[in-house]
Amino acid sequence: MRNPGLSSPALEITDLRKAFDKPAVDGLSLSIGTGEFYALLGPNGAGKTTTLRMVAGLLEADAGSVSICGVDAFANSIEAKRVLAWVPDEPMIYDKLTPLEYLEFVSGLWGMNPDHARFKADSLLEQFGLAEQADVRCGGFSKGMRQKVALAGALVHEPRLIILDEPLTGLDAGSARQVKTVLRGLVADGVTVIMTTHILEVAERMADRIGIIAKGRLVTEGTLKELSERASASGMTLEDIFLEVVGANMQPASAKSPTAHASGSAA
Amino acid sequence: MTRSALIRFTHHEIRLAWRDWAWLFAGRRNATTNRAICGIAIFAAILHLIGYAVLKGFFERGGSVDQTALAVISVSVVLSFTMLLSQAMESVTRAFYARDDLDLILSSPAPSRDLFMVRIGMMGMTSWLMSILLIAPFLNVATFLGGVNWLAGYAVMLSVALLATGSAVLSTLLMFKTFGAKRTRLFAQITAAVVGAAFLIGLQLVAIISYGSMSRFSLFNETFLTNHAPATESGLWLLARAVTGDADSLLLIVGGSFTFFALATYTGAVQFRKIVVAALGVADGTHRQKRRQRMFVMRSVNGALVHKELKLIGRDPWLISQTLMQVLYLLPPAFMLWISFGTETQVSVIVAPVIVMAVGQLAGGLAWLTISGEDAPDLIATAPVSDDAKLWAKVKAVLLIIAALIAPMALALASVSAWGAVVTFAGAMTAASCAILVQLWFRSQAKRTMFRRRQVASKVSTFAEAAASILCAGTTALVAASQPFAIIPALLLAFVMGLTWHLAKGSRPSRPHAMA
Repeated sequence: MRNPGLSSPALEITDLRKAFDKPAVDGLSLSIGTGEFYALLGPNGAGKTTTLRMVAGLLEADAGSVSICGVDAFANSIEAKRVLAWVPDEPMIYDKLTPLEYLEFVSGLWGMNPDHARFKADSLLEQFGLAEQADVRCGGFSKGMRQKVALAGALVHEPRLIILDEPLTGLDAGSARQVKTVLRGLVADGVTVIMTTHILEVAERMADRIGIIAKGRLVTEGTLKELSERASASGMTLEDIFLEVVGANMQPASAKSPTAHASGSAA
Repeated sequence: MTRSALIRFTHHEIRLAWRDWAWLFAGRRNATTNRAICGIAIFAAILHLIGYAVLKGFFERGGSVDQTALAVISVSVVLSFTMLLSQAMESVTRAFYARDDLDLILSSPAPSRDLFMVRIGMMGMTSWLMSILLIAPFLNVATFLGGVNWLAGYAVMLSVALLATGSAVLSTLLMFKTFGAKRTRLFAQITAAVVGAAFLIGLQLVAIISYGSMSRFSLFNETFLTNHAPATESGLWLLARAVTGDADSLLLIVGGSFTFFALATYTGAVQFRKIVVAALGVADGTHRQKRRQRMFVMRSVNGALVHKELKLIGRDPWLISQTLMQVLYLLPPAFMLWISFGTETQVSVIVAPVIVMAVGQLAGGLAWLTISGEDAPDLIATAPVSDDAKLWAKVKAVLLIIAALIAPMALALASVSAWGAVVTFAGAMTAASCAILVQLWFRSQAKRTMFRRRQVASKVSTFAEAAASILCAGTTALVAASQPFAIIPALLLAFVMGLTWHLAKGSRPSRPHAMA
């Protein structure tokens, strides 16, 4: 795998804009370092999913720039995609393929060495507790299992930046723990993880830095400690901080991305 | 179950059925009633004009119901029955296997038997309305030109719809008992596809054997009918006589069909709950593939995409049964090739257009599946591959299947006419390419399970696909016959494709999402 821009931030977003009927993302700028676990929070319709879909190349931006590991994602999207993995909240896998076949397909798309890909696939299926179902078609899987297959697909090509949109939605406690363990392991290995979540406790416990967006703008960001210090009273939970920061902006101000809407995800 | 609950459920079913119709005729999911009614009115008006053109001559000649008229009416009614039976089998299978609101119905305190009786009743009514939509213009024109006795056709069509729905319910129940819940879905869908095409194909085969031509109209030749068809007084013309308003025949058919439908509905409704529960249990059943010991196969990105498409199509019996209809139409030309093997050099002129038409339609379906019907669009869109490479891989998958299908027929044709084989192969690949282009121009992301609805999504693409197939078939036949007039359908084809491209360009937003 190529390693462009090891010293660059894993993700650098500058003045990103996207409007549907109304502005959905309104001049958002963000910089996330290599090996960071970044949680992106915001009320429904704040522009989280729209932002991340633009980063993943699933939606065209109206203005602004996105750099992934030093590669301009708009000018050189194919190079940027080599190091990126996107996991939507609704697992998109093929019902007629088995997890192993799915991982073979994904590794083929990313042009991986087949021997290494097979080794990686077996290891991921083991990590996610899917080894027994490796040869069973995904059609009969529960949502949690489908989510884990999708996640394994995102990890099989060894990305350096992983973007997850509500990855824990629909997972039971055991599966959620498996996913969290895998994500922590990735961050420890220097992989950057960006995650949107509505479960504030997850962001509180797992994220190195937390960004809160509302009305398509980054309202505040920092470590939990920094956010607490900025909040009006000490000893607040992330939920208290979130509600205070977002405050009057709780009403969604932006139209949802049609694609995000179609996949049932909150932007 | 209280009466009001039953009425509410009936109202719910009617509303769902109407929304399906509105979607079909208005071309959009949230169609307004006015738009849907406009769509139906335009469709009906066009059919009335066609009906007038077809029947005017018959009534000008006195409208006497002779052997030919009886044969044409009987064949039309039987044809409607096979189409409706195919449609009803589809509906019944969906009612058993599609989750939709079954969880709600089965967990409600209302007796499921009564609810399913309403549902089966609605299937019968929907079948009738569907057939009426196509047949009513002809009946109306016949009534206008020949008298009110032709209105009896409405009652006959209702009987045919009820017979078809009742038969579909009973045959699906029988399949459940014989093959079990797991296999019935596949068998029922394949049977539905075969039944839908079987009668037309049967007529073609008889025409080939009798006259050496593929025209099913050869059978309505007066000499043929005089020699082979029963006399006008025969009881075999019962259906046709009922359509013309013969009271005894009408009473017998209407009475018989209502009794049969009532029995089938009751039998079906009583067993529905048990079957639905069994079907839902296997709907998400596990399919374990053979344990793979081998390493991953090294494939190019293109190869990975093509391999995935072929595997997904090959593993989906439902999609196969949906596309099977087009392949079935290749049987008569294959039969004709077989009986004229090595002897009839002109056979390519007859066979080529049929192959080209069938291939065009088949390619349209397959192209939709690979280009628009993507279940993991985000995965494909985020893969580090250019949009052009992704598109080409999908197109290649369709072309590979098409080439594999027509290659044996082209080889068989080569045994009688090398020129005919080359022309047929070229014509078929052109028809496939046109269908693929139309699907490319009108691509819109959808789940593969939406395949049945693909023709509703864009009427322009549906008409363009059909027109391109017909014009390709016409051009191929004329080229096979070495006729210089082939240039006319060829130019028309170019015009249709140009116009379609222009319309598609106008209707597409400027690259809203990445190619999936």
